[in-house]
Amino acid sequence: MHKKLWVSALALAFVISLGWGANEYRVADKYRLAGENNNRRALTDFASHLDQLETDMAKGTVASNPAQKILYLSQVSSKSDVALKDFAQIPADQTGLSYVGQFLTQSGDFAKTLTQKVAGGGTISVEEEKTLRDIHERIMPVNQKVQDLITRMDTENLVWTDPAPTMKQRLGFGTKIAEAAADGSEAPSKSVRSGLDQLDASLQKLPPFSYTGEYATRVVSKPLGLPAGEVTQGQALVKARDFLDKIGYTNKTLEFDGESQGELGGYKWKVNDIYMEVCRQGGVITLFRDQRAIEPKTLSIEEAVTKANLALKSLGWQLVITSSEDFGSYVQFDAVVEENGVRIYPDKVRLMIALDNGQLIGLDSVPFYAFHHARTFPTKLPLDQVLRKLRPNFQVLESRLAVIVKAGNQEVYCYEFRGRYQGEEYLLYLNAVTGVEENIQRIIKTPRGEYLK
Amino acid sequence: MKVHVRPWALVIAFVLIVSIALSGFAYAALGDRLLGRGSKGSEVIELQKKLAQLGYTIGTADGKFGSKTEAAVRRFQKEHGLRVDGLAGTQTIKELKRLTGQSTNASGKAVGYKNIDTNLLARTVNAEARGEPYVGQVAVAAVILNRISDPAFPKTVADIVYQPRAFSSVDDGQINLPPSSSAIRAAQEAISGSDPSKGAIFFFNPAKTTNKYIWSRPQIIKIGNHIFTK
Repeated sequence: MHKKLWVSALALAFVISLGWGANEYRVADKYRLAGENNNRRALTDFASHLDQLETDMAKGTVASNPAQKILYLSQVSSKSDVALKDFAQIPADQTGLSYVGQFLTQSGDFAKTLTQKVAGGGTISVEEEKTLRDIHERIMPVNQKVQDLITRMDTENLVWTDPAPTMKQRLGFGTKIAEAAADGSEAPSKSVRSGLDQLDASLQKLPPFSYTGEYATRVVSKPLGLPAGEVTQGQALVKARDFLDKIGYTNKTLEFDGESQGELGGYKWKVNDIYMEVCRQGGVITLFRDQRAIEPKTLSIEEAVTKANLALKSLGWQLVITSSEDFGSYVQFDAVVEENGVRIYPDKVRLMIALDNGQLIGLDSVPFYAFHHARTFPTKLPLDQVLRKLRPNFQVLESRLAVIVKAGNQEVYCYEFRGRYQGEEYLLYLNAVTGVEENIQRIIKTPRGEYLK
Repeated sequence: MKVHVRPWALVIAFVLIVSIALSGFAYAALGDRLLGRGSKGSEVIELQKKLAQLGYTIGTADGKFGSKTEAAVRRFQKEHGLRVDGLAGTQTIKELKRLTGQSTNASGKAVGYKNIDTNLLARTVNAEARGEPYVGQVAVAAVILNRISDPAFPKTVADIVYQPRAFSSVDDGQINLPPSSSAIRAAQEAISGSDPSKGAIFFFNPAKTTNKYIWSRPQIIKIGNHIFTK
């Protein structure tokens, strides 16, 4: 009797688990399919956008009238954006630097700079024509290889990524890691990803293009504003203590927190909620943060501005505050260099003032030390002449001279006009030498302060 | 006849009158009355939504001012220079409304929250750098923004975050957890230009990674448990 009961209970459980398993399998299969469809869409779209990009580039090189040239070149830049988007969604084992990505970005970027040049009434130089042709030459094989991958998916059952290493490989008998595929070996790829990695490696071998644009390089240039000479760890500690003294922190025993590398690298220090960095070159304080709990606020934003100016002065900075962001218990200010009435926006220091006692609780001077240098200003156009270049009905509220950074870390000497147009407020930047409009920023008032977009 | 009024009876009468009066406001707007432990109604839902929007978790916005909501109010007050009493009074609600309001253009027209990227960035920071020092959280957000300006990476926050195998928190679903208030602040700070990573485009936790590629990258700085690299 008992035995019978057991058997039927087990049988029932088995049937239920079978049904459950089958249902789970069906659901999992749906997800697998959805994932597969998504991957296929990304790859096909990538190939298709790459193909369109190649065609538009060919048309852009031959087009002779400016309107046609602008049309095709701007299409190249937008196609490169979407192609990059698709490319970034194709399955991978890991994310690293992608030369395919870089190539796409730079092709689009170069096309964009040419578009802007032609749209501004300029002509494309012989050298630029040659670079455009070079890029086109490189795009063609990339395009072919991607299309080839799609064909091989159907004929050779390519998988998306290389299969995980077997137990034998894991134990060290034979290695097969993603980097091995990226070394440029021409062995036929077993997966879409290794095919793309091979493409990546082949692009990596080619010399970089020379052009000026937003994404022309990934190398960060050397900091321009660091004082000469290196400091030792002991000297850095003295600098750090001196800094704390100046902003009203006394008797703090700083603890060494390691070194950082790179051009702006140095010594890290901490105590309680304080963290700070002293640069090896020049011994300057590049970062200071106090994450202490902040008591109920007693200061208004205006009072905080005064405190910020006092802190700047006691630290020996001569800067003007250009913007503020209210985070509730503290306010963040950006202050920049002003030289002979010219606002140098790249030479920026950011500081934070606690609203409970007005103490400086944050300082970031990295932008200042990265960009500050002696500048010479070319002869500028008179203000009234530049004013005439503004669009009609743009109501100017403020104007001044400024140095701004354009794409690709290029500095431009400009007239800055803050003004209104049809209910919106903007900052317009007109080149002080040529009068050409260099940049437009729309002013948005966010809950925390003004925001430029 | 002399009427003896006992103190506790007075208290009960007072509480009764107040609660009857308050029940009339059950559907009033946020800011009309003091909200505290035990308050209920649509304005509590509004309060809870605003707290959640700024990263102060309250669970589900159920319209009941319970212990979670009180804890969230307290944390909000602590981080915004307000008196910490766990009650949502005029000051607290004013600050909440200010920080959760829409952005406007110069003539005061609402133009949306302008925080789409902040939200995803904050989620990534929350999932990747929870428990890390605040500066380290800003650095993680900065890495994503640095990738946007690097030619080798896609050009939007979402494309970078959802790039296959770019972030483990996307693979394990932690990216979908609501971001903390410090993650939101870190994201905002990075968007406004702070970069404690000094130009890094990768970061990793040396104790948790087996990836060989990442070790080959030139290291810049270690903040908390993360090493930031070029």
